[in-house]
Amino acid sequence: MSEDVFAAGDDVGRDLAAVDWAATPLGPPEQWPQSLRTSVSILLSSRFPMWMAWGPQLTFFCNAAYRRDTLGQKYPWALGRPASDVWAEIWGDIGPRIDTVLAAGEATWDEALLLFLERSGYTEESYHTFSYSPLRDDDGALVGMLCVVSEETERVIGERRMATLRDLGSDPSAVRTESQMLAFAGAQLGHNRRDLPFTLTYLLDDGAARLAATTGIDAGHPIAAHAWPAAQLARGESVLVPLTGDLPAGDLPTGDWAEPPREALLLPLLQQGGAPYGFLVAAINRFRELDEAYRGFLTLVAGHVAAGVASARNYEAQQRRAEELTELDRAKTAFFSNISHEFRTPLTLIMGPAEELHSRTDIRDEGVRADLDVIHRNGLRLGKLVNTLLDFSRIEAGRMQAGFEPVDLSATTTELASVFRSAIERAGLAFEVDCPPLAQPVHLDREMWEKVVLNLLSNALKFTFTGTVRVAVRADGDRAVVTVTDTGIGVPADEMPRLFERFHRIENARSRSNEGSGIGLALVKELVELNGGTITADSTVGAGTTFVIRLPFGAGHLPAGGGTTGVSATADPYVQEALRWVPGAAEEAPEVVAPATGARVLIADDNADMRDYLTRLLRSAGHRVEAVGDGQAALESARAQNPDLVVSDVMMPRLGGLELVAALRADPRTAGTPVLLLSARAGQEAAIEGLEAGADDYLVKPFSAAELLARVRANVELARLRNHHARWRTALIDSLQEAFFVCDDDGAIIEMNSTFADILGYGPEGLPYVPVHPWWPDPAADPEGYQQVTGAFGMLIEQSRGTYTIPVIHRDGHRLWVAAAFNKVADPETGRHVIVGTFRDVTAEHYAVQRESALAVLSVRLSQAESLTGALQGVLVTLRELWQATQVCAVVFGDADSPAVVTTDPELSWDDLSAARRQELATLREKPLLTSVAEQAGGAGIALEHPDGTMVLFVELAENRPFTEQDQTLLALLAGHLGQGLNRIHQIDQQRETALALQRAILGPAELPAGFAVRYAPATRPLKVGGDWYDTVTLPDGRIGIVVGDCVGHGLQAATVMGQLRSACRALLLQTADPAQTLTALDRFAVRLPGATCATVFCGVLDPATGDLAYSSAGHPPAVVTHADGTAVLLDQGRSRPLGVRSRTDRPAAHYAVPARATLLLYTDGLVERRRQPLTAGIDRVTTAVQQGRDDTLEELADDVMDGMAPAGGYDDDVALLLYRHPGPLELDFPAEPTRLAPVRSALRGWLARCGIDPSVAQNILVAAGEACANAIEHGHRHRPAGTVRLQAAATADDVHLTITDRGLWRTPQPADNPHRGRGLNLMRALMTEVTVTTGTAGTIVGLQARIPR
Amino acid sequence: MSTALTFTTSRRPDGAVVLTATGEVDMSNAGAFATALAGARQTAADTPFVVDLTAVEYLDSAGLSVLFPHVEHLHLIANPLLAPVLTIAGLDDVTTISE
Repeated sequence: MSEDVFAAGDDVGRDLAAVDWAATPLGPPEQWPQSLRTSVSILLSSRFPMWMAWGPQLTFFCNAAYRRDTLGQKYPWALGRPASDVWAEIWGDIGPRIDTVLAAGEATWDEALLLFLERSGYTEESYHTFSYSPLRDDDGALVGMLCVVSEETERVIGERRMATLRDLGSDPSAVRTESQMLAFAGAQLGHNRRDLPFTLTYLLDDGAARLAATTGIDAGHPIAAHAWPAAQLARGESVLVPLTGDLPAGDLPTGDWAEPPREALLLPLLQQGGAPYGFLVAAINRFRELDEAYRGFLTLVAGHVAAGVASARNYEAQQRRAEELTELDRAKTAFFSNISHEFRTPLTLIMGPAEELHSRTDIRDEGVRADLDVIHRNGLRLGKLVNTLLDFSRIEAGRMQAGFEPVDLSATTTELASVFRSAIERAGLAFEVDCPPLAQPVHLDREMWEKVVLNLLSNALKFTFTGTVRVAVRADGDRAVVTVTDTGIGVPADEMPRLFERFHRIENARSRSNEGSGIGLALVKELVELNGGTITADSTVGAGTTFVIRLPFGAGHLPAGGGTTGVSATADPYVQEALRWVPGAAEEAPEVVAPATGARVLIADDNADMRDYLTRLLRSAGHRVEAVGDGQAALESARAQNPDLVVSDVMMPRLGGLELVAALRADPRTAGTPVLLLSARAGQEAAIEGLEAGADDYLVKPFSAAELLARVRANVELARLRNHHARWRTALIDSLQEAFFVCDDDGAIIEMNSTFADILGYGPEGLPYVPVHPWWPDPAADPEGYQQVTGAFGMLIEQSRGTYTIPVIHRDGHRLWVAAAFNKVADPETGRHVIVGTFRDVTAEHYAVQRESALAVLSVRLSQAESLTGALQGVLVTLRELWQATQVCAVVFGDADSPAVVTTDPELSWDDLSAARRQELATLREKPLLTSVAEQAGGAGIALEHPDGTMVLFVELAENRPFTEQDQTLLALLAGHLGQGLNRIHQIDQQRETALALQRAILGPAELPAGFAVRYAPATRPLKVGGDWYDTVTLPDGRIGIVVGDCVGHGLQAATVMGQLRSACRALLLQTADPAQTLTALDRFAVRLPGATCATVFCGVLDPATGDLAYSSAGHPPAVVTHADGTAVLLDQGRSRPLGVRSRTDRPAAHYAVPARATLLLYTDGLVERRRQPLTAGIDRVTTAVQQGRDDTLEELADDVMDGMAPAGGYDDDVALLLYRHPGPLELDFPAEPTRLAPVRSALRGWLARCGIDPSVAQNILVAAGEACANAIEHGHRHRPAGTVRLQAAATADDVHLTITDRGLWRTPQPADNPHRGRGLNLMRALMTEVTVTTGTAGTIVGLQARIPR
Repeated sequence: MSTALTFTTSRRPDGAVVLTATGEVDMSNAGAFATALAGARQTAADTPFVVDLTAVEYLDSAGLSVLFPHVEHLHLIANPLLAPVLTIAGLDDVTTISE
């Protein structure tokens, strides 16, 4: 036997079996009650941590899960010991809870309660969520408690630390000064004085430690001045320092604890590539071990502080640099404007040798030639820019020397245009040159004209992506008209007035290149005007632009001058530049395989040369480079490749650098990618703009190769440092016991940790998870769950923070419950709102709660049940609701031929079940008791003990609903309780059977005399007996003794006293036939019978012939007589004290003559007594009820009174009721012989007289009854000679009812056959108020009713 | 034993034959009543024929049925108790209720 109890427990079971139980109050397991055995086996078979305590000393049991999670070193010592010894250190916390459970029988529930345990060799901070529920023995008495517990220490502490780290990272302003940053960090650290009882932050200035911030401790505390081991810290090592010994400790602050920390961990504030910024002194919570997680947390805290210091110092440096750049720009501007002409000489000296080198055939190195090309092209470009600038300065200085000459405008223009043909056609555009010869030449400066045409064509190509560029020359009166038309992007109307303004550029215009100084058109206009012409522009956005130049023929308007012919070298820079804008241009920079150590760098620049230059430069430094021509391409590439660094120009077509940064930051995939912006625009404003857009660094052109490489290296390293933090963050998040997720404001999950993947089975490879998420329950199979999840999801999207608990489906299909908490936060990198949430698997807790409530419901059902079957039916309904099962059935394999079946569905018998189901149930019957068995086909069963034999409980689930392990545990638990409950009910059943038999035996007479009606309602359920009684006893002289009494108390106890009093009273009445004497004798009896004194009794002796009633009352409420006319009389004479209460006078007697058709009511006080109401009010009410029912039959009246007087919740006291109506009914049985008619008539006449009916009415009744009797006799004669006829007569206040019954067949009157018989029926109908004739095979019943006139 | 019922026949000074019944008439003695009626009727011949039921305490349809064959010749005297029955039977026009 004892092995059985512990069989489910494996190791713990063996150790439990080894306990010397005989030495405990529980005794050897063989003697344990069934309830204890059940509890132990449930405990041991559960995988949830549980312990229980049983018996007077609350002897301790636990299971393997509890041993593992909570008990620690106390195992196996704890087994079998008093629970107060086992948990002595926390008994102050849990003792009162256990007392509550044992006193009230109600379960407790504590969530994450802080308990200091001694299980690990030190006092340990721990958190437990647990529930204590009462355990009952076989008799239902509270004898112990069961604790279902889940250890939550790691979760609570992990959450707390995570909150601190999150708060540290939540600094809303991106950039702060060092002191602001330290103040903010200090405020956050100060919120967590459990993990950080106090901290001291020191910064190193020239090797000297300076206290920069404190939390939880006063900066003036002696310990702040302690000489910490700075050398070790300077080497970047952490140091654990005991806070004892020779430290100037003073009274150390204790943080959130009662005792001060004993150790502090000193952590360096690491600087990338440099000596630490300083160090952090973090006091250690003495109630937690400094384990890896704790150390990791502190390291991350220090890392945050260090990063903050780095960021603040960076910001300050950046500000200084921006100021320097502004100054530099000022100088540069002055420089350019003053000495740009000085460029020409060095440019010439560059270009000359470069061209010479380029033309040398002995240089074959492709790299060198590519470099020469770059030098050449950019020399040309620089020359063009310098020339343009010089043109302006010349124009401005009035020093522009124009050499006018007669020019064939068509030929010259055609020639100029032709040099652009290849560039335009390579760009995929049509090029139309329509320049028919003009009749006369135009005087102009050829070189200036070249610049005009080349600028316009360059412009057209730059802004045209499809269609045509057209050049046309016409004569128009005295002017030549040159038009340059494109089908490009056009110029917005509001930009037109400023089109020719110097340095004005149209922002955000889509173009082939963003290069340009904004002076081309301004120069064109100046040049055209110098040549005596005008230029206008006409443009439509999206359709194109047309420039119209009008030049006068002749030379009258011009000063004379010389000139040159042919296309000058001027054209080359324009064409070379334009060719670089179009596809197919020389971009084939050689691929260099980058060493693996390099970073992946993405370059975005619309200038192909700059692109090539940067590419070569960065590749030479070992980076892997990808180059694109604009921001949009960069964005696409960055999203696809996720480079380590993006180097981008600011001014680019399609998508500029600043917009690129914004787009990268807005996308979670690239939000962290560092961006280095390059721009020609100098100045603090430009730098700030770039940084505010989210760029990590900003480099102003011109820059040296070394500077660029240094910046790239720095940013890559910074990114890696950041990634280092990110990795730490990831590692920490991954180490969380809680699932962590980030979702965007559309509800798509964009980040998760490994716990998330563990809990739900959906990993980061599937990111993003857009709603509807795959773990949502199926709306068809689980509409309720789906509803809950959609509700929670709505909350997640709409509210800024919240928590919810929802069911979800693991990837493998099993169902979980998770509790989630979320916060809406602004992503510090992108500014977008994201939702950061955590959740944990609360399936166990959910089921624990479910278990508790299911047990509670089950207990209620069991306690309400009055029978085994009733209990089962109630429980099955509960189980069906719990599992939303399609059907739940219980089959008892008892002694009967076929097993007894109880189901939640309409009556099913064993034979109605399918053969397969019968087989399943029979198999389950053979399984070990209280062991859940989940079936493949959607359901589970369990066998348990039923008082009639083994019972199999089967829960049939809807299709696809799995029956989980938790479900099985729950089913086992419920089955255990159900078994005990059924056993209890069975015992109660037996008690009730006994009690009912007892009640039948002692309550009242087996047969009442005619004319009486009685009712009995006991207050105590389920035993239907009580202390009230009624009795009638027929005395030898024909009179009837009537007794109604009320013993003190309810239930079985009162019933036994009542039984004896009743018997005594009956005997005494038979002996004395006198009420007062009877009660006097009963007094003597009562004083010897414990519990009998103070019983109240109304005792009367009634003469049924006359209605004379002698009565005496022992403290009993008065009887009520209601006359036929409604007058009510209280029989309140003959009163004296309750039984056994001494009195100096004899018990008095009184007489009352009950008039004809009056109703006598006797009752006990339970009928009329109501709280906060005088007894007389109740008596008045019952009197009214009898008055209203005085014309009803006595049985109807009894029902109406009992129903009408009952309080809303039923009688709360025993009630006995006795009614008598005078006279009692007449009942005569006589042989069906004519000679019997006269005596029957005589008896009826006498009864009618007792009823107070006047002779003429009586005569009518006699004749009608005589006719009915005569008929009956005729039937008897004809068919059953030996038959008898019965006549019954009863009176109410206003009516007499007669019934004449025979065993023969009524003959339908046949006047021709026997005319006077028909006359008989007519007579009855004429004489009576109502006549009914009911004929059946068994005989005929004639009902007669006569109204009694008042 | 039949219900108690006795008869006397006499002749009044006006020559009418009077059948006086005492007791109760029901199906047990209706036959005797019929015989007595027939005898008295014969005695009366063409002289008035009176049936005095003043001393009859009960008469039901069995008694009525033996009265009906003689209804055109007889006159009834009855006590008020029998009045309702005789009235219902349509014999009130040949009946005198004695007070």
